[in-house]
Amino acid sequence: MKYITKVNDQEFIIEIDQEGQVSVDGRPYAVDFQQLSEGGILSLLLNNHSLEAIVEERENGWEVLIRGELYSVDVQDERAYRLARARGTVTEITGEATIESPMPGLIIDVLVEPNQVVQKGDKIVILESMKMENELRSPRDGVVKHVYVGPGASVEKNQVLATIGDAA
Amino acid sequence: MTADTLLSKKFDKLLVANRGEIAIRIIRACRELGIGTVAVFSDVDRNAPHVRYADEAHHIGPPPARESYLVIEKLIEIALRSGAQAVHPGYGFLAERAAFAQACLDAGLVFVGPSPEAIRVMGDKQEARQTVQAAGVPVVPGTEPGLSDTELIQVAATIGFPLLVKAAAGGGGKGMRPVVEIDSLPDALNAARREAEAAFGDGTIYLEKMIAESRHIEIQVLADMHGNYVHLAERECSLQRRHQKVIEEAPSFVVDEALRHQMGQVAIAAARSVDYVNAGTIEFLMDKEKNYYFLEMNTRLQVEHPVTELVTGVDIVQEQLRVARGRKLRFNQDDIKVRGWAIECRINAEDPYNEYLPSTGTITTIRLPSGPGVRVDTGVYPGYEVTPYYDPLISKLICYGETRGEAILRMRRALEEYRIMGVKTNIPFHQHMMDSHRFLSGQFYTKFVEDRFSMSDREAPDTLEAAILATLVAHRQGQAASQIVAPGSRDTSNWKWLSRWERLQR
Repeated sequence: MKYITKVNDQEFIIEIDQEGQVSVDGRPYAVDFQQLSEGGILSLLLNNHSLEAIVEERENGWEVLIRGELYSVDVQDERAYRLARARGTVTEITGEATIESPMPGLIIDVLVEPNQVVQKGDKIVILESMKMENELRSPRDGVVKHVYVGPGASVEKNQVLATIGDAA
Repeated sequence: MTADTLLSKKFDKLLVANRGEIAIRIIRACRELGIGTVAVFSDVDRNAPHVRYADEAHHIGPPPARESYLVIEKLIEIALRSGAQAVHPGYGFLAERAAFAQACLDAGLVFVGPSPEAIRVMGDKQEARQTVQAAGVPVVPGTEPGLSDTELIQVAATIGFPLLVKAAAGGGGKGMRPVVEIDSLPDALNAARREAEAAFGDGTIYLEKMIAESRHIEIQVLADMHGNYVHLAERECSLQRRHQKVIEEAPSFVVDEALRHQMGQVAIAAARSVDYVNAGTIEFLMDKEKNYYFLEMNTRLQVEHPVTELVTGVDIVQEQLRVARGRKLRFNQDDIKVRGWAIECRINAEDPYNEYLPSTGTITTIRLPSGPGVRVDTGVYPGYEVTPYYDPLISKLICYGETRGEAILRMRRALEEYRIMGVKTNIPFHQHMMDSHRFLSGQFYTKFVEDRFSMSDREAPDTLEAAILATLVAHRQGQAASQIVAPGSRDTSNWKWLSRWERLQR
């Protein structure tokens, strides 16, 4: 079976077909993969290189923890990938991007106004939570389409605070 | 009864007015000394380990601290109802509220800490500064608040530049303005007054010498009720982010035996100036020439106390309890020797790759590092929800080595072993710091993380492996889902099982 797997911005084509044999972008690897009964631990021998990891499924993909680093991984089988592509959902961040509150908190300041031109990385909103002020930044270049909150507003986790779209 | 006789009262049952890792730390010391323990918990902490570790636990209120862990009347009421005769405040929450210490004494409870008066004096920035200065402790050169602009401009020349214009009502870096030369001072004074007036409703300002690239060095002090004072050497706490310590170590790279002795004596003088009793910490700023200045005194147990415990062998919490029971310190200054090196990394629920945004959610998996020289103080568990109600500290990872190099190598190893899933943590930040040349050579200062440290040059080393692992698990799950009969537990390897399925499906 063929999978298209994305980690950060890197894409791998991974084929799983023979016993203990996996190929990544056409290159074969000897794989011995064990799922231990204790606490979700996985043991992988990759060409006899030993790794311990934890893999857990999330709403929008997989999280893999190896040696302190957490990787967000998206796995699609070939068929699903082609379908998604045909529907155009596998694209770069164009279209409207939303700034969502990553946690409940209090809006300290909103630094942009609708129709303002912003660059990727510009501060959009200052959110206070866990006794810290947090800067939420624009994920893309574009124009502020909507601002849904003002200073002093209490917000919930995942609440949409602002949207950034293409310049008109 | 006077406060003194109350203080020296024996106790065999103690209420821990805290939660999380520090509550567990205190309960452990109590168990070792045969003292019964009473825990308190808010609605969201019923399953927290401090509840299970304690002999007794009482519900204290809703999740927000101001309705639970910060309600003095409730704590006192539970202490009295449960028959506890003493209270340990831990750190944070009520630990540095003189009113809480006073309420305990008024209720006939032993407060494990200093007198309310010592807490009050050291809690007032200006009063603390004046008090220790009178005791001969160096403070950062500067002016009193409330001088006129003309007076300030006159004094500025004697303080020297660069200096900071600070708001008397400010704090935590707010309302500060650096000035590099006398010509720009009048404008800066005007602007600072306006800002302070607007931000704090109080336009009072003062001047303070700016100490560039300063270090934060603190001295741990212990004092009993019999007038004995001992210092437990220094901790290096210069690695901070937004004034929050993230990595601490003991001893310090820049403090030698002579300087340690000198700073220790100065710290003891500061503690004596308020007749301090129990464990306390004197924080100093140190400039590049190793001049040091009193910053403030923390009148409580510190988060980073374990590094001192590891290099001195003193169990600080046990000592706190003994002192509160009226005992004399069991050692004098000559008995205290610093041996080896200890480093602490604060593991926080935050994303080091995304502006250190706090990460909330439920912890799904935890596996602690262990092995030689590794200590973990933690209060979380699988199923624990990281909420905005309490601070984001998940645990403290402390490593010990015969040398600083060995401690760092152990810390690297332990960070790799630590497994926390469900929330993002700053473990990669610590790993990156342990690899940084500036850290290895001890070349850092309090603004180092903000000024010169970036996560962007860190390469995630196991990307390919992560891709393969997620794909294997996804593949297996897909295969399992397509089976009509659940596979049950298999005694053959997953791979044999997997390949059988593939052969069947050809």
